[in-house]
Amino acid sequence: MAEEVKKDVKPEKKPIDPNSSKYKLGKIIQDHYREVAEAKERGEKIGWCASNFPQEIFQTLGVKVCYPENQAAAIAARGAGEKMCDIAESDGYSNDICAYARISLAYMKIKDAPEQNMPQPDFLLCCNNICNCMIKWYESISKELNIPLILIDIPFNPDYEVSDAQLAYVKGQFLDAIKQLEEITGKKWDDKKFEEIMAISNRTSRAWLEATSYTKYHPSPLNGFDLLNHMAVAVCARGTVEAAEAFETLVEEYKENVKTGNSTFRGEEKHRIMFEGIACWPHLRVTATGLKSRGMNMVATIYADAFGLLYDNFDELIKCYCNVPNAVSLEKARDNRIKIIEKTDPKGLLVHTNRSCKLWSSFMYEMSRQIGEATDIPVVSFDGDQADPRNFSEAQYDTRVQGLFEIMEENKREAVQ
Amino acid sequence: MSRLRELLNQFEEVANSPRKQLDKYLAEGKKVVGTVPVYTPEELIHSMGFVPFGVWGADVEIKDAKAYYPSFICSILQSILELGIHGAYRGLQAIVIPSLCDSLKSLGQNWKYAVKDDILFIPMTYPQNRENEVGRAFTKASYERVKADLENHLQGHFCDQQLQKSLDIYNEHNRLMRQLSLKLSEHDQITAYERRNIFKSAHFMLKEEHNELVAEFLKELDNLEKSTKKTRVITTGILADSPNLLAIFDDNNMTIVGDDIAHESRQYRTDAVNGETALDKLVDKFANMGCCSVLFDKDRKRADLIRDMAKERKADGVVVLMTKFCDPEEFDYVCIKNTLDEAGIANVITEIDRQMVNYEQTKTTLETFKEMLR
Ligand code: SF4
Ligand code: SF4
Repeated sequence: MAEEVKKDVKPEKKPIDPNSSKYKLGKIIQDHYREVAEAKERGEKIGWCASNFPQEIFQTLGVKVCYPENQAAAIAARGAGEKMCDIAESDGYSNDICAYARISLAYMKIKDAPEQNMPQPDFLLCCNNICNCMIKWYESISKELNIPLILIDIPFNPDYEVSDAQLAYVKGQFLDAIKQLEEITGKKWDDKKFEEIMAISNRTSRAWLEATSYTKYHPSPLNGFDLLNHMAVAVCARGTVEAAEAFETLVEEYKENVKTGNSTFRGEEKHRIMFEGIACWPHLRVTATGLKSRGMNMVATIYADAFGLLYDNFDELIKCYCNVPNAVSLEKARDNRIKIIEKTDPKGLLVHTNRSCKLWSSFMYEMSRQIGEATDIPVVSFDGDQADPRNFSEAQYDTRVQGLFEIMEENKREAVQ
Repeated sequence: MSRLRELLNQFEEVANSPRKQLDKYLAEGKKVVGTVPVYTPEELIHSMGFVPFGVWGADVEIKDAKAYYPSFICSILQSILELGIHGAYRGLQAIVIPSLCDSLKSLGQNWKYAVKDDILFIPMTYPQNRENEVGRAFTKASYERVKADLENHLQGHFCDQQLQKSLDIYNEHNRLMRQLSLKLSEHDQITAYERRNIFKSAHFMLKEEHNELVAEFLKELDNLEKSTKKTRVITTGILADSPNLLAIFDDNNMTIVGDDIAHESRQYRTDAVNGETALDKLVDKFANMGCCSVLFDKDRKRADLIRDMAKERKADGVVVLMTKFCDPEEFDYVCIKNTLDEAGIANVITEIDRQMVNYEQTKTTLETFKEMLR
């Protein structure tokens, strides 16, 4: 579910301003991969980690990890999704399996992908609050590489609120995970450090939430697709001061844009939409252009909130991880989105029915119907895949987006009359 | 007609007419609760005065469920929803749905809006870290949740002694079904289709009733001469249900000498034995379960289990029946294949689907496999 940085940074005429968010966010990603590689070289044990595993644990312990989901997105965005999927499929993994998992399993085998390399893992940190596919994927790696796997199981919650039983269960596992990771890495837990990490993580989350909230302006000072790109930082560096600062810079830039009327969305913002789901990384340009060319800006995404985890104490921290988008009931997921729509005022909803993501797609039809009814905006979906390029049709995408565009045009005309 | 034949007919009748079974229980004034794959606390439901009734979908065409599920969700869930929409489960008081795979997580969510009949959705949330203390506590809390729903909405009544009685019945059922699988490995006169009927009927009967039939059948089987002439295979997967599919085994003189099918033997591996109270025993049962694609299995012991079963039952090969779009099984497959290859056990995979009418592809695959095993 995690995301990735810009795929092809265009050759810049002038060097990027080191005080810009662009520079800072880019550097965080580079440093992230470099640091984990260096740790590995030093002989430290490093892990592969699920995007929504409680990062406070290894940040506190000072243990380095990297994120297969980010890597898979990067590989897909840089054009090697199909090649990697093919490798996994030739080993017997069905093409039905989530493409992130297929790419990752292929990487585990060939251990080299020029599109995005990362060191091989000594242990795995798995959390299934985004999907149970995660468990199966990490089991496969654990078995194949014969390395320890720590699972924090956060079950899908069919109820609206997190129950005391779930809280206690996840808490217990959190504490257990600390012990296991101490044993694996030889590092020691420090409560004071934990407090610090929690404080930094909250600071980063606050900045992230503030930055993402700027889409509420008309016109929005940013192209919502930017957020999908920045998410990689929210995933891999939430517990670092650098990430907090980079997002704070982003806030300043958006603030400035609002003042000056600028936006990272090029062209006039004629229409505002909510985009549901992960980006189609292999077809990022086509999907973005299809919107941009029609003056449709994405101003709302569930991702805005997904990585804005705010908490005051340990219990709340646990609840944050229990409440990530894929772990909650239809009603709660629906209401979360309606709140975003109320804040950001999109006039249409474009749903990515993601072939890779069964959980995300399997009650999306009903939920998006309900969202459309509650907010009185048109809903259109298209078929795609976040990393396997074969599951996307440009023609279908274009027709669907055009369909949404026409309804939105019509609605706008009616509203004016 | 021999008693054995009579019993086989009875199993067939029940397996192929769930609606009739359901109506029979309703006519007897019983309350019936649907139980969805892969696991639910049936013993608990049973002990509270309900008939747990297996809801595993059926081989039907999917039409209206398409408004809820995209095409890449397994046909078991698609068909459950389709049948639900069309009132096939009318008469059930509730449906208990576990969230053991990603697609299952959404079934209850869709059910609430798609199915207009008054059939209460009761979620059963199992932990994946099920053996440690916090996992056990969570299993217990989830049982309590099911229990509370049955009490508050359907006037069920819980009592630990009653649960103990149900555990006894279910443990006995487990024992009989394990014996059945073993004995059938020495009696290839019983066809793959007949074997399926015995297993399938278990989902539509009170276990105390099924116990009687199976116990009697086992006795009759003892009187039958042993026969092991056919090609011996182990099946693994979620479901081996379609008569057309099973006919391929029978037409090719293949006998199923053991299975790792979720709908069949995976249900009967673990008994509820240890614990202070009956409820604790049921918790302990789940803690001890494993070797299944939807239960966290870090070491993929399931693959070893299949390998060992193939050896013990002197199987000629293993047939992987892959339910289309079942990602938990798809992940496990690679490890299963590698494990079997390493052990020199022949194996083959074929994709199946509840919407499949034509099993030509599977037929060719199994025929070729059979040839290879000679
Ligand atoms: S199945 Fe969905 S949530 Fe899970 S890793 Fe794949 S895309 Fe992400
Ligand atoms: S385990 Fe497989 S067959 Fe069963 S519901 Fe999940 S996806 Fe479908």
